[in-house]
Amino acid sequence: MRLERRLWRALGLALLVAVAFLWATPFLWTLVASFRPEGAGSVNMASLAPDTPQTLDNFRNALESGAFGLYYVNTIIVVLGLLAVQCVTVSLAGYAFARLRFPGRDALFYVFLLQLMLVPPALIVPNLRTVVDLGLYDTLPGVMAPYFASAFGTFLMRQTFLALPRDFEEAAAIDGAPWWAIVWYVLLPMAQPGLVAFAIVSVTAHWNEFLWPLMVINDPAKHTLTIGLAAFTRGAEGGKEWGVLAAGTLLVMAPLAVVFVAFQRRFVDSFVFSGVKG
Amino acid sequence: MSAISRIAIGALVLSAAALALPAAAQTKIEFFFPVPVEGKLAREMTRLVKSYNDSQKEVEVTAVYTGGYDDTKLKAQAAAKAGKPPAVVLMSANFNVDLKLSGDIMSLEPLLKGEETTRTEFLADFWPALHANAVVDGELYAVPFHNSTPLLYFNVDHFKEAGLDPSKPPRTWAELVDAAKKLTKRDGDKIERYGFSMPAGYDYLGWLMEALSMSNGGRYFNEEYGGEVYYDQPSMLGAARFVDDLIFKHKVMPQGVVEAGGVSTSFFAGKASMVLLSTGSLSFIRESMKSPYNVAFVPRNVRNAVPIGGASLVMFNGQSEDSKKAGWKFIKWISSTDTLGGWSRFTGYFAPRKSSYETAAMKEFIAKNPDAKVALDQLPYAKPWFATYQTVAVRKALEDEIQAVMNGKKKPDQAVKDAQKKADELMRPYVEQTALKLP
Repeated sequence: MRLERRLWRALGLALLVAVAFLWATPFLWTLVASFRPEGAGSVNMASLAPDTPQTLDNFRNALESGAFGLYYVNTIIVVLGLLAVQCVTVSLAGYAFARLRFPGRDALFYVFLLQLMLVPPALIVPNLRTVVDLGLYDTLPGVMAPYFASAFGTFLMRQTFLALPRDFEEAAAIDGAPWWAIVWYVLLPMAQPGLVAFAIVSVTAHWNEFLWPLMVINDPAKHTLTIGLAAFTRGAEGGKEWGVLAAGTLLVMAPLAVVFVAFQRRFVDSFVFSGVKG
Repeated sequence: MSAISRIAIGALVLSAAALALPAAAQTKIEFFFPVPVEGKLAREMTRLVKSYNDSQKEVEVTAVYTGGYDDTKLKAQAAAKAGKPPAVVLMSANFNVDLKLSGDIMSLEPLLKGEETTRTEFLADFWPALHANAVVDGELYAVPFHNSTPLLYFNVDHFKEAGLDPSKPPRTWAELVDAAKKLTKRDGDKIERYGFSMPAGYDYLGWLMEALSMSNGGRYFNEEYGGEVYYDQPSMLGAARFVDDLIFKHKVMPQGVVEAGGVSTSFFAGKASMVLLSTGSLSFIRESMKSPYNVAFVPRNVRNAVPIGGASLVMFNGQSEDSKKAGWKFIKWISSTDTLGGWSRFTGYFAPRKSSYETAAMKEFIAKNPDAKVALDQLPYAKPWFATYQTVAVRKALEDEIQAVMNGKKKPDQAVKDAQKKADELMRPYVEQTALKLP
């Protein structure tokens, strides 16, 4: 009996490992290829087995082809600056749509959601015009501006607020707390999982974004990581230097991967133990 | 007012004027450039532009890296629509017709006139094959910067091993099929090495199909008028059947769509013996290929003919007079004999100016790298690059159909018919304008 259970367990584990391996293959390949010497790279380029000797040349080449230090700083400014503004806008807008009563509230909310249906490339020219008019062309705030009011974030926060019981707010209101104190001291702490989930989506999306920063930024000193990476990947007529490409990709995705691994527990926790029972 | 304060004011005005003078004289412009081959080209371009900025005081150019060819077009057009037109853009040479018809790029004729020269005089030093892609509706719109043609690369060791003479690479389609059969290595049903391979991703495939249909006597498109393509014609049908046969009848070419990176990688790895790739890849292949290789003309069925590829310099509408002057000055410097020669040696593209090949540095380079000479020898057979109204969409109409053939989902006869139908639909607005809405 116990043996059978163990067998099933082992089988399940094997299946999980197999799926995990399949899922991790692209990452493994990137890792292996980025340390592969250039000559061997083309012959065994698809192989997952690491070559000996390993080399750091690919990373050197990748780093030399752009000011990566600067790209990191720019990307971090864009991603974190944007997130800071978004946290304010989406929680306030979410609160308004969830709790305040005003005529046309729900209609307005659905109109607001409509922007999720538009494909981003269709908005490039109108957004660029606005950015030029605001004097933000070729600046990092110009990269962030169109995302300040996130429809997705507002939706997420509205749903999170709606799921919270009103008792807490009412208790605070009875004690004489103004609306902003209710939002800040009562609602936001309970809505933290929603904010964290939104932060993950926002940071990943804008870290990886290519087209919009490319449109807004001209000054090479203001380029973001993805534009630096494009120098390896957008070659049309040439061959591919797989090693450099892999090294460049690794450089771009490493910080996000590290952050995810470091805070993995925290992310999962915030989803699971929200402290609020519906 | 005391004399002292008057002197002080005078000095102040003078020094302000002195400060203002150099600032007013220098025009700042932006130059958008894509990187079509490798990352190190971006560094080289930045270095070039810096050396230009250091060499003179009137113009300061900011070199802006703008992704691939398509990204560059998107960015330049969006910037122009938002009121920030770039002064100079390095644009894929076959976008010029499209950009002229949409009113984005400016005619360079007034600038030529300002220097009392003519289009014919200006273009005289450029290879004749490049003229058609630089001139739209009788006016100069672009200055060729770096150019390419397709080339047949082959593995010398494989040739020897298969009993073929590497000094006599295939010149005709029949010889190509024959050689590819001998070069293909089979293990039962499995193919270990393909005799022939070619990139079939977007852009590349359209370009190579142009090469094949023109080598088959065809014309591919009307180089004088942007509303006609010749897809449903015997020349293109023959090219499509040739590709179909290589894959399914002779089984010497991989089935399905292989991108350029995959083709060059399989060539380096010895998994493909002959490949069609751009001359623009020459430097990259020279550096990466470990076993001996050589290059040859694209094999013909009826005649030798290849399309031009590459990029040219264009200027956008909507900029100030000062910016125009500065942009033109920069274009003249960056398209000078020496700059173009140096860029050609660095990248592997051929230089669009004939005079670049008269320089000592170039003669020495070609003596050292005979493969660069083959690319040059093929130039007299070069023809203009496909450029129409809605170039990209019209090109994709053919590429989608040929990809279906390569995947075994369609037969060539049907594919070229469908491609023609789709292309005609796309070009209809422009065609109707020319055919029906006459003044």
